Amino acid sequence: MRQTLLRGLAFCVLLALVVLGARSAGAQGLGVDEQTYHIAKQLNCPTCAGRNLADCPTETCAQWKAEIAYQLQQGKSAEEIIAYFEQRFGTTVLQEPPKQGGTLVLWVAPLGAALVFLAAAVLAMRRATHRQAPLAAATASEDPLVAEIEAEVQQRW
Amino acid sequence: MVNEPLAPVERHAPASEARRRLFVALAAALGVLLLGGLFWLALNLVSQQGARPRPGSPAPDFELRLFEGYRAGYPEVLRLSDLRGRVVVINFWASWCEECYKEAAALERVWREYRERGVVFVGVDYLDTEAPALAYLKQFDITYPNGLDVQQRIAKAYRITGVPETFFIDREGRVAEAVIAPLTEADLRRRLDALLR
Repeated sequence: MRQTLLRGLAFCVLLALVVLGARSAGAQGLGVDEQTYHIAKQLNCPTCAGRNLADCPTETCAQWKAEIAYQLQQGKSAEEIIAYFEQRFGTTVLQEPPKQGGTLVLWVAPLGAALVFLAAAVLAMRRATHRQAPLAAATASEDPLVAEIEAEVQQRW
Repeated sequence: MVNEPLAPVERHAPASEARRRLFVALAAALGVLLLGGLFWLALNLVSQQGARPRPGSPAPDFELRLFEGYRAGYPEVLRLSDLRGRVVVINFWASWCEECYKEAAALERVWREYRERGVVFVGVDYLDTEAPALAYLKQFDITYPNGLDVQQRIAKAYRITGVPETFFIDREGRVAEAVIAPLTEADLRRRLDALLR
């Protein structure tokens, strides 16, 4: 049993490594246009609220994409380019808000809300179970009086 | 009829009751924390979206790192408060802004005309990348101080609504007027003459 578990675990680790390796090799093998698109997908259009830089046709975004392509040609990595945009234009240009400072709330809030909801659901279920218990006891025909009434009811109906 | 003693009321075991209370307290604390966090975030957003500086109110001070070759004799980092005693024209622009192209030549001409009379023009480049921004400045042979508004700090302080937008600051460092449109030479001269009077 233990051996099977270990084999399963080893297989999962191997699979994860293969997938990660393939992804990384894929990103490195992309041309400048594809890499530009991949990086632009992680940034926001600075002038259109909530729009992705990669999919935005405005002049501003065209310039930003040209800047990304230029920096890629200069040998900069995706991380360096994203850091450059963040440093110049602030965290609002990032598609994903950073998991620190004030924006941490945006990551924690949904999880917290789910936990509160789960807690409330568990509480409600427990209460419902406690309320049903005495009712079930009362309907049990162990009590001779209840059994007598039940028999009477069954006879009449 | 014999009065039989009532059966003791069934209660939850003390341990499970304590657990239940702890559970409720934790859920409530988490809820309060969550709401508090969201409230704090909302307050932050509201404080960032305050009112624009009105005419007569002090112009928000700022520091602007000037592009090399576009310093007009000023230090690398220009501070607005260092220009007190002069009339300042703060022009927000961007190389991707079509309307900005309409006023660029007028701004440069009027700057050259008024610079000896105690007027300073400051170009604040908004949401721009360096190469197109420098190409824009070169295209219009702009010589007044210009720099990139890093992280849009100045734009946020002045609550601009877009570009181009121009603020006229009087000699006492107060906002005299804000214009949300491309300016002509006549527009600029009329306002500057009034402020220099």
